[in-house]
Amino acid sequence: MSLRVSRRNFVAGGATLLSLSALGTSAFAQEQRLRLLWWGSQPRADRTNKVSQLYQTKNAGTSITGEFLGWGDYWPRLATQVAGRNAPDVIQMDYRYIVQYARRGALAPLESYMPAKLNLDDFDKAQIDGGSVDGHLYGVSLGANSAATVLNTTAFKEAGVDLPTQATTWDEFARMGAEITKAGKRKGMFGLADGSGGEPLFENWLRQRGKALYTADGKIGFGVDDASEWYDMWAKFREAGACVPADIQALDKNDIETNTVSLGKSAAGFAHSNQFVAYQAMNKDKLALTNYMRIKADSKGGHYRKPSMFFSVSAQSKAIDLAVDYINFFVKNPEAVLLLDVERGIPESAAMREVVAAKLDENGKVALAYVSGLGDLAGKLPPPPPAGAGEGELMLRNIAEQVGFGQLSPADGGKQLVTEITQILARG
Amino acid sequence: MSNAMRTPAGAINVERYQGAVAEGRFRRLWNTNAPGYLFLLPWLIGFFGLTLGPALISLYLSFTDFDMLQSPRWVGMANYVRIATADPKFSAAMHVTLTYVVFSVPFKLTFALLVAMALNRGLRGLTFYRAIFYLPSLLGGSVAIAVLWRQLFASDGLVNAALSQFGIEGPSWISHPNYSIYTLVALSVWQFGSPMIIFLAGLRQIPQDMYEAASLDGASKFRQFYKITLPLLTPVIFFNAVVQTIDAFKAFTPAFIISGGTGGPINSTLFYTLYLYQEAFGNFRMGYASALAWILVLIIAVFTAFSFLTSRYWVHYDD
Repeated sequence: MSLRVSRRNFVAGGATLLSLSALGTSAFAQEQRLRLLWWGSQPRADRTNKVSQLYQTKNAGTSITGEFLGWGDYWPRLATQVAGRNAPDVIQMDYRYIVQYARRGALAPLESYMPAKLNLDDFDKAQIDGGSVDGHLYGVSLGANSAATVLNTTAFKEAGVDLPTQATTWDEFARMGAEITKAGKRKGMFGLADGSGGEPLFENWLRQRGKALYTADGKIGFGVDDASEWYDMWAKFREAGACVPADIQALDKNDIETNTVSLGKSAAGFAHSNQFVAYQAMNKDKLALTNYMRIKADSKGGHYRKPSMFFSVSAQSKAIDLAVDYINFFVKNPEAVLLLDVERGIPESAAMREVVAAKLDENGKVALAYVSGLGDLAGKLPPPPPAGAGEGELMLRNIAEQVGFGQLSPADGGKQLVTEITQILARG
Repeated sequence: MSNAMRTPAGAINVERYQGAVAEGRFRRLWNTNAPGYLFLLPWLIGFFGLTLGPALISLYLSFTDFDMLQSPRWVGMANYVRIATADPKFSAAMHVTLTYVVFSVPFKLTFALLVAMALNRGLRGLTFYRAIFYLPSLLGGSVAIAVLWRQLFASDGLVNAALSQFGIEGPSWISHPNYSIYTLVALSVWQFGSPMIIFLAGLRQIPQDMYEAASLDGASKFRQFYKITLPLLTPVIFFNAVVQTIDAFKAFTPAFIISGGTGGPINSTLFYTLYLYQEAFGNFRMGYASALAWILVLIIAVFTAFSFLTSRYWVHYDD
């Protein structure tokens, strides 16, 4: 058998291949293509794909492909694609990362498309600002949410404990938790989750004290006293049996499936409002949403309406116009918005909010009512967190665990947290 | 195929020599070897494109500050200096990984050897058992098993259910900083299949007449094991130990799944590779992560070299 290819044949074959590929490009050039990337679960993917199909039927000659991953896998994939000059055109972006991506030139500024092609006139001003970095718009908010307490109302009722209200303080809530634990109606169930390592909880608590996680210029926004007192409060809750012990809390991998409420280990846990539908789907008991507790009866402003996620456009995209048009469709077309429901949070556009509100099911209404009913508990949106905030979050949790397992005192934990976060921010 | 490949080795040399004189050494060599290289091509492309190339690039990146979004910036030895002097997480990760290696490798090899010896006693249905025992090795690296492990060792898992029969109330092993690493060691030991298969092959190589002679001389079973089996098996033990040690240093999936990528609780499952991954993809420090990777390569190389150096004192080869 001869493996030789004569030069003549080789050249002929190569030329054929080349001309074929040229044919290919000219055929596809008619069609405008768009690639999307987002994180989330299957239901979100179904909704998103339906919107893409709708867009394609309304805009002949466009082809939209989407890909989705879980939160943990999403960021490595996105970073790799951006580094490989292969970024998707439309990128789902989080409040935590938008500064990092925008400042490093990975995202396209969109303000020049407003208002003709990107009409955000009836958006909340604060939420548009949330997607802006250094005076440029880099992300269009896909919905608002807020941090929230998830309550297993069935478990509360069984233990004979009333549900907390907007007036409940942390101390009162801890007493309720201890009562539920003590009632012992369900084996292995405690009153509350241990929130000492939860960043949204800590931030909410700091804001009620007039502090913040991070300042506007990216410095640490709290002191040793704050952190020590925080860890100390939860240490007392643990001691009183109000919340789960440290080895149970450590099962929580910061997702819906392993939250202590979903695991049946606690009657109350901590989450985000747009996750409520998914929480209810995972739990047989009747769940409810409520706010994070007040530190004192008259303290307020801990909560805020947060852009739950954005759509951003890659600076590398060759179809920025199309991407902007798609995003505009995604947040402003009534049919699209109805397909999306409140799964990504409550629509920012006032008109679209009305469209959705009219057709919401019971669980969707819970999230909507919760976010719009926060009242004096809600305050201003904090500035986007600096680079290194992801590490800071892990550190808060790590030290919370050391305190929880008795390896550190709350006072030393507070000291260490401030030292570590200061170092992380300095390193960038 | 060319004729040269079918002629005996000696003949090729003559032919080559003559060929080199007659029409140029390289053309002749090319004619002889080209099909070989052609068939090697897929592997060669993979080796240069997917292994050597990226490895060299990562060596370069380890001397830079690279966040994946902007171009790398040369920083010289700064990454390595930081690893050596100012990174507590590096030492934490190293400690976890060494604990894992030190516990998992000996236990796994002992277990594999015991099972191999049991299977070597002319059991009926040997192939069936062999397949069954090998199964965990095939499944072990998978996400599903790591999830299963979480269930087994959680507070209300099977392990604690069994312990409660004896009145012991166990903690949540998987999420307790004192025990979590040992649940991962257990997971590794459970995947004893591939060293077992190699041990089994090694045991088959030992001539039966040695055992017969030993029993005639009245040597006990234990003495036979100690004086015949072990010494003759040392090459296989050595091989298994080196391979398993390298594997243990590189372990990633179980810790990633079980801790949700955090390495928690309190860094107790922060494997070296997991820390490397966090730095690269969580914190966008690709340069620093590359330096970490090269330190790991160095450590594995030192361990392996050390094993080879000591091997001459305890590994017995027949020849």
